[in-house]
Amino acid sequence: MALLEMNGVRKRFGGVLALDDASLSAAGGEVHALLGPNGSGKSTLNKTLTGVVVPDRASITIDGSPVAIHGPRDAHAHGVAAVYQQLSVVDDLTVTQNVVLGLEPTRRLGLLDRRAARTVAAEVLTRFSPAFAGSVPYDAAVGALSPGEQQIVEICKALARRPRILVLDEATASLHKEQVHVLFEVVRELRDSGVLVVFTSHRMDEVFALCDQATVLRNGRTVGTIALADATEDQLVHMMVGDVERREEARRSHASDRTVLQVRGLTTQRLRDVSFSVAQGEVLGLGGLQGQGQSDLLLAMFGAAKIHAGEVLYDGVPLPLTSPVKAARAGVALVPGDRGRQGMFAVRPIQENLSIASMHRRATARLALSQRAERRAARGIVERLNIVIGGLADRISTLSGGNQQKVVIGKWLLNEPRVVLLDDPTKGIDITAKEEVYAIIRELADSGAAVVFNSSDNRELLEMSDRVLVLFEGGVVDELTDAQVTEEDLVASALRLEAGETL
Amino acid sequence: MNTPVISSLRPPKVLSPVVLAAGLAIALLIVGEIVSPGFAGHGQIVNMLRVSAFLGIIAIGQTIVIISGGEGIDLSVGKVATFAAIIGSRVMDGDNTKLLPALTLALTVAAAIGLCNGLGITYLRIPPFVMTLGMIGVVQGLILAYTSGQAHGRAAPFLTSLVNGKVIFDLPGLLFLWLLLAVAVTWMLRRTTYGWQLFAVGANRVSARLSGIPVRRTVILAYVLSSVFAGLAGILLLGYTESVFLDLADQYMLPSIAAAVIGGTLLAGGIGGYAGTAIGAVVLTVLQSLLITLEISAAGRTVINGLVLIVLLSLYGRQRRLRT
Amino acid sequence: MNPAPPGTREPAPATLAHWWGRLRDIQVSGTATVAMLVVVIAVNVALQPNFFDQYALTSNFATFVPLVAIAVGQTIVVLSGGIDLSLGAQVTLASVVTVQLTDGELGNLPLALTAGLGVGVACGLFNGLVVVVARLQPIVATFATSFVFSGLALVVLPRPGGTMPSEFTSGYRDSVLGVPVALLAILAIAAGWLLLRRHRVTRHIYAVGGNAEAAFASLVPVARTRITAYVIAGMFASVSAFAILANTGAGDPFIGNELTLTSVAAVVIGGTALRGGRGGAIGSILGAIILALVSNIVFFADVPSTYRQLANGLVVILALALAGIPALQKRRSA
Repeated sequence: MALLEMNGVRKRFGGVLALDDASLSAAGGEVHALLGPNGSGKSTLNKTLTGVVVPDRASITIDGSPVAIHGPRDAHAHGVAAVYQQLSVVDDLTVTQNVVLGLEPTRRLGLLDRRAARTVAAEVLTRFSPAFAGSVPYDAAVGALSPGEQQIVEICKALARRPRILVLDEATASLHKEQVHVLFEVVRELRDSGVLVVFTSHRMDEVFALCDQATVLRNGRTVGTIALADATEDQLVHMMVGDVERREEARRSHASDRTVLQVRGLTTQRLRDVSFSVAQGEVLGLGGLQGQGQSDLLLAMFGAAKIHAGEVLYDGVPLPLTSPVKAARAGVALVPGDRGRQGMFAVRPIQENLSIASMHRRATARLALSQRAERRAARGIVERLNIVIGGLADRISTLSGGNQQKVVIGKWLLNEPRVVLLDDPTKGIDITAKEEVYAIIRELADSGAAVVFNSSDNRELLEMSDRVLVLFEGGVVDELTDAQVTEEDLVASALRLEAGETL
Repeated sequence: MNTPVISSLRPPKVLSPVVLAAGLAIALLIVGEIVSPGFAGHGQIVNMLRVSAFLGIIAIGQTIVIISGGEGIDLSVGKVATFAAIIGSRVMDGDNTKLLPALTLALTVAAAIGLCNGLGITYLRIPPFVMTLGMIGVVQGLILAYTSGQAHGRAAPFLTSLVNGKVIFDLPGLLFLWLLLAVAVTWMLRRTTYGWQLFAVGANRVSARLSGIPVRRTVILAYVLSSVFAGLAGILLLGYTESVFLDLADQYMLPSIAAAVIGGTLLAGGIGGYAGTAIGAVVLTVLQSLLITLEISAAGRTVINGLVLIVLLSLYGRQRRLRT
Repeated sequence: MNPAPPGTREPAPATLAHWWGRLRDIQVSGTATVAMLVVVIAVNVALQPNFFDQYALTSNFATFVPLVAIAVGQTIVVLSGGIDLSLGAQVTLASVVTVQLTDGELGNLPLALTAGLGVGVACGLFNGLVVVVARLQPIVATFATSFVFSGLALVVLPRPGGTMPSEFTSGYRDSVLGVPVALLAILAIAAGWLLLRRHRVTRHIYAVGGNAEAAFASLVPVARTRITAYVIAGMFASVSAFAILANTGAGDPFIGNELTLTSVAAVVIGGTALRGGRGGAIGSILGAIILALVSNIVFFADVPSTYRQLANGLVVILALALAGIPALQKRRSA
């Protein structure tokens, strides 16, 4: 009998339906993979189980009896513990304090029992001592640890709760090989003692190495559950992606021979000595594992990071890198990676979101705005980018993700940029909108702009870019220029490095 | 995630805070008229509007600062208004020809105080509440040092006649000045690049920075404007009282925030406008008149004002939940 | 404070997401606090040669206690990720209630002190509920409640007056085995903090202030913890009120107003980050003493009386600005 049954889970965040009739059924003593592309609702489903997200509708059964999970404490009462993708450790507390957080052993009057806390922490942490270079830093602040070590603390915190159901949401993302190895051993022991482990990872090899069953989500719905022993990677990928027509259209380079943009020795806290050049009309892709400096490079080129060394030239003239204000004025545009936090003004009208970067060009004395001119400019962009809106006075937050992103891009088009930097512009938007964004990028390049484009989606990266730079730990480690480059080559280039060095 | 139908996503139009505030003002007037006939008479209403004008003008700056976000607030407005009135009174000393120098000096000092607030908040990253609260102590110190504890001078006759005299339609000039300022500020917020940048900075500072907006400059200017409008209100208040006291406008601090909140300016920043604040100022003034009519003590009025602010904040200014 | 719009669930690149989040990630280092203390003591000794005499010490410590107590209370709220701008008003309210109930009679004292403590608890609870249940920003919510509390204080005691029994005031100025009672009070407050620090609630306060979402996901009762922080702060406000009454012997419905900002300044000087989760009350106690000694300096340095308030105001602003000066900041290990 299934230990855990989740059915008809539905959750809407504002305008986005994150889960729509998702389900999951898994037995004790198994490792159950929860798979799906970005934004398919895996994390939301996990958080529903752990009580961090309250679903609009759901029926959850544990051990055959229906349960109501209104918060993390309810989840804990039912034996659920979780490792979250975004860690739930408190940086300022020590390793021990984090492991026992919320369940601190106490003596009389609620005074903390430090020795008991240390014992609890040691029980789970000693297993991972190789991961801490031999000695576990029980009394170090978690914020001072490396990302991998913080991840281990997060895992140990979940283990210390002695769960019957353990959720591991991208728990291996920042671990290196040996750490993953220890984690897998522990997970297998838990499985053998009857615990259900729900495992989410984007690394397919891990899924096949560890998991017994896999449930696949797509667009917030459960597509199906499959036993991994008789499944192939292709089958899984097909379940996740669905029937997608592979675009046959080959990359057509419109790049001229004239190099316009030159980056020389750019070094920041997170970048080391990055140099490259971009020709007029060229789309330069940034690839590699995500978080290896791609976003940092784009921010630095936009003057939004402190530059230690290096310069960026346009037509031989240095671009100002000291502030985004100057960069924008010099004709650089940045479509940032986190639309909500970095790109748009959620509570402001679409009109203002579109006008904000370029309105001084149309204003009298750079101050007085003409409503007619602003409206005309905004309407032009709305039509040109085919943005679906109710009215310009509506808040941008009323739009779908794809249309929001088009507004963010449109904001910069009005400024007629010479250099366009795009940080994963299609993340979390639907297929149709993606295609439209691709068309905009091509159009920009065709009109002569130098385009630098980061993407977490290797397929689109290859389809869109004339060349791809592979980044690792803040440096350029490979350049793929061959038009025949395949997705496999790109993945290999990114992963070869990962295998070679440890994070 | 298919492209949803946009119209279905638009939130249902609720009554705007501006309309609600106006309704509240009228309701209070009706209650007053019932409790004490004559409360809503023509003369009374003109007088209440005139008293509202001082608060309304101080609240201009408060509105701008709150819109600028980042927990923006200016607690020093009352003290700055007082200081400006003290400077103005001493410089003009009942002489019309010295009105302009007095105004210039008072507003320059006010602007300098606002600049200090803005610099401390943006460059030293002192939370606005703390910075401007600390500034109260400094300005109070400046007042004591400047006056040696004794206020001097009096208002120029022209200033007094502007504030108190009937100009057109039997209405005091102050009301026309307030109307003019209201139009100007609304134009600034809605039809200038600075206004749109201010809303953008208040709505999302990271996005603002990454859209090429000079965030710090925008925020600093907001605090400078706040002090300047406070200073202007102080000078006008001087015209009303003719002579100055050391705590002339101090009590405007809380109402200036409350007026903005009543008018629908969100303390989170990025949303709001001046029309609502102006009506908010009227609401508060009518409320005070009503409480006085009901013979509630000053202490009781303070308690009620605090409670009113809490209730209003709960209606408009709630934070998001941890559990989503 | 904007609601997270759709499509923002993914983790943001660390560089910029934290750029503005660092707004209040500022903290004076412990060394800087101690250095400041040494400097102000040295200046005090230079200006006031009898600084270490029994009488001078006793009267100095007597004036430190109210500020020390309220600074500890403020620290606890700040650690929880909040701020309490009503603490000064709570001190006022607790003191006027206590003085009215005492009515100069020693016999009334136990009841009056209990009531005074109850006032602190009630105010803290009210603040906690407004912040947590009504979900208002602490800074504005407590600002609004400060008007409620100070208005109530005026209702209880419309003008300065009332007396405390002489035993109460003279006892406070006394000394036990050569140690001033006021110093003992400060040591007791410090000891109280050290005990509190070992309590589960304080651990939770640190966790909630450091990362409320993580704490919530880790089974910490976030709402209850926040409310508790305000209640504890209210209790310290009551202690502060008792010290003021012992020091002045009479009630004053405006006495606490100045204390609020000074308590925030003491917290900052003491090295507790205003963003919460990091620091401690020992630093704030030192910070409070530093600030008190600075006003001593202003007093003994023959600053003309009309400039004294300006000097004090500037000191507070400078102290707050200290936290913004990079050299004095303790940086997060990058």
